[in-house]
Amino acid sequence: MSAFFAIVKKELRAIARERTILIAMGIQLFIASFSSALLIGLLSLYDPDSVGIYGRINLRVGWVGATDSALITRLDERGVNVVPFATAADADAAFRREEVAAILVAPEERGEVVEMKLYLPRLEARASLIQMILQEPLKRYENVLRAPRGVEVRYTDLQGQPPTTFEFIYSALVPILMFFPAFVAGGIVVDSLSEEIENGTLGTLLAAPLSLDIVVGAKIAAAITLAALQCVAWLALLSLNRILVENVALVLLLAIIVAAIIACASALVTVMFEDRERSQFVYALFILVAASVSYLLDVSPIKTIARLASGDYFTGAAEVALFAGVLAGIASVLLFVTRRVGAFR
Amino acid sequence: MRQIATLSLREVTRLRQRFRGGTSPLTVVILLGALALAVLAFRETSLLGNGLYRVGVAPDAPAIRDSKFAVVAADPARGRALVEQRALDAYVDGARVFARPDDKSLYAVGALKRYLEKAELARLSATYDRARAFPLRVEINYGSIAENETGATPKAIVIPSLMTPPAPFAYVIVALLYVLPITFISVFFTSSFMDEKINRRLTILMSAPVTPLQIIVGKMLPYALFALTTTAVLAYATQAEVWLAFLIYTPTILFVFSIYLMVPLFYRTFRDTTFISMLVTTLMTAYLVFPAMFIGISDLAFMSPLTLAVKMYRHEAFGWQEYLFPSAPMLLIFGLAVYAGTRLLNEEFLMGYRPITRKLADAIFLVLDRAHPYASVALFSALVIPIVYVAQLGILVVSTNLPLRLMLGGALVASALVEEIAKSASIVTLVEHRLARSTRQVLALAFLSALGFLIGEKLLVLFSVSVVSQTILSAALFSTGFLLVPLVAHFVFTALVCVLNARARVPYPIAVGAGVVVHAIYNVIVTQVAL
Repeated sequence: MSAFFAIVKKELRAIARERTILIAMGIQLFIASFSSALLIGLLSLYDPDSVGIYGRINLRVGWVGATDSALITRLDERGVNVVPFATAADADAAFRREEVAAILVAPEERGEVVEMKLYLPRLEARASLIQMILQEPLKRYENVLRAPRGVEVRYTDLQGQPPTTFEFIYSALVPILMFFPAFVAGGIVVDSLSEEIENGTLGTLLAAPLSLDIVVGAKIAAAITLAALQCVAWLALLSLNRILVENVALVLLLAIIVAAIIACASALVTVMFEDRERSQFVYALFILVAASVSYLLDVSPIKTIARLASGDYFTGAAEVALFAGVLAGIASVLLFVTRRVGAFR
Repeated sequence: MRQIATLSLREVTRLRQRFRGGTSPLTVVILLGALALAVLAFRETSLLGNGLYRVGVAPDAPAIRDSKFAVVAADPARGRALVEQRALDAYVDGARVFARPDDKSLYAVGALKRYLEKAELARLSATYDRARAFPLRVEINYGSIAENETGATPKAIVIPSLMTPPAPFAYVIVALLYVLPITFISVFFTSSFMDEKINRRLTILMSAPVTPLQIIVGKMLPYALFALTTTAVLAYATQAEVWLAFLIYTPTILFVFSIYLMVPLFYRTFRDTTFISMLVTTLMTAYLVFPAMFIGISDLAFMSPLTLAVKMYRHEAFGWQEYLFPSAPMLLIFGLAVYAGTRLLNEEFLMGYRPITRKLADAIFLVLDRAHPYASVALFSALVIPIVYVAQLGILVVSTNLPLRLMLGGALVASALVEEIAKSASIVTLVEHRLARSTRQVLALAFLSALGFLIGEKLLVLFSVSVVSQTILSAALFSTGFLLVPLVAHFVFTALVCVLNARARVPYPIAVGAGVVVHAIYNVIVTQVAL
């Protein structure tokens, strides 16, 4: 047993000395901050509702048409300043002086279909922003027009809150931060095992005398320890950012179990293929498949951790125990294979 | 040419031996299966909020088919009770939706709203004829009314409720698909060099009548062909023009390879390789994806070649300037990386186990021509411009996360840091190897470095400034204006760093820090003037 801990300690010391772990943690921090920056950036452009920037935009739109139109009310509700003009020429002149950012020309609401004209600036960026702001009032106005035509639209009065940020935190950010350390752990196991094999130092270790399963087990243990430490750090960071994670103990436990599953799987791959090249390739494939399957299944690590962290009523220790079962399975396969390979060496 | 072909063939043989026997067809099958599965998962599920909500539905309510919602059937009384118990987030009964007034429930209603609105539109178009279901048409014109009466301007007629925001997500993801196979096989390319190192075959290879350039090109060729093939296949499968896809992706492919070429040259342990590769892949994806998402919003989108690909898919035209803006730096970096590779490909450098910064300094020293230190310092400073430039654009991307005030400051300081290191690193390594001793020599080198840097910078600005002229920051980053002022400024900063380090024996990080402080102050003043 002391040999086991000696290898664990040696692995951890090597990783600390190479500063590898700093690179790994830097990557994770970058991914987390980058994805949230991307999301916020995109939201403010393509889904301005979510970030609530309507109040801050002062948009003036020229209006040519009847001043009692239901659309004017809808535009007002959205904080768009409607500037009525008597003729299209007046509106056009104001548009060219840039007093209004766009012009709406609305005919009388007669006939089956109401046809409007919208004039936007030529600059693509400004035009698409204005179009984005006008879209919601236009949609509501469409519903107003539908009513006298005998078309009933349901669910128009649903309130709720824009969910994108909530969904991002629990279904993307928390899983990324909790499972990326597991992915890193797998990579570390592949590298440190294949390095011993390819440099021929494994033979020395086995002559020590140590059995192969102790060497492999110690490397896995070191990788899991690192993953657990990273998860703790990320959970602390989340709480510093006032992001509430429910069931913290179970979330951490699940993250460690998944790290252990991935570490065992990557050890299995390396023991079977021996060289880094094939092992890393197969390991990357394994991760790709596992992540895809995880998205498709109803009970999967990603969904379970999202549900645990957001406080789902039906998700708890039983689901975590399920993954512990998977871990037990893969660990026993690994033990079986390493014993057989070890016997040949 | 023959040597390159031989080396390529040898590389293919090496790979085939790795996957010999029954494993190679099996690997291909598994690879294709894995990719298909990933595509399926991507298409069938929503990436955000997958399985996050639990929603109850009454027996007669419309079915909810969205992977965001785990659906429970329940009669109204039980359904509402479950909502109160916090077991369900919301309950849909006919046209009504029940919720609690807490956050999670309200988010669930918000998500339901988006889904149900879409479902309603589908129901409307299935139930009623088009004119009744969609009674509003909006003709969108660009430019003033008078301009549009001449009839030459483009216009589009849209139905507001069916209008989707012009978000380029789908296109950007498709555009990124082209790069994925390359990052996936990068492990083989890097392993090729690592093998030579582990088996100590490099010396033998070097003593054969082949040049380092031939070795690098020969090893790269099979993978470059693979990358071009996948590009052609993807372009064909997505009905894009194959030659245009080649034109757009060749610089990107070469850029990716140039980075993966550096990885095996600098690694010390296997873990290094994995994490440097991981870091490179992450940063590169960010660099490619982030700007492209803002196509049509900001001209800075053109710094990513994916923007060109998105334009290709939208059948929009782009000019040579827009093409060269992202491509030229990538091609220049590729050239520089291959040149550096030929200088670094020797056993002594590859086998050294030293800190990464030490290895970088050694690499710079090896890249310089010791016989002509002055010329090489000037040339080095001019040639690292594309790297500096890509780094600065990257900084710009990352700094857009920050509030405006911090963003300007952060970008200015970070870009000053990159520039100061680029200009002084070569001089410092020369001083270290005692190829420059006196203060006069150091000052002369600093001047040449500043000159080379400025010439390179101006050449780049020539074609980039017309593309990004709109952004405020570009004024500061590619400081235009009088040529003499920036030359003197660059010389002063570089001289400060080098003299502090070489003569006053100040540690390099602190010397650079001093240079950065002065440079950042200068940058702030220049921006103030430009604003």
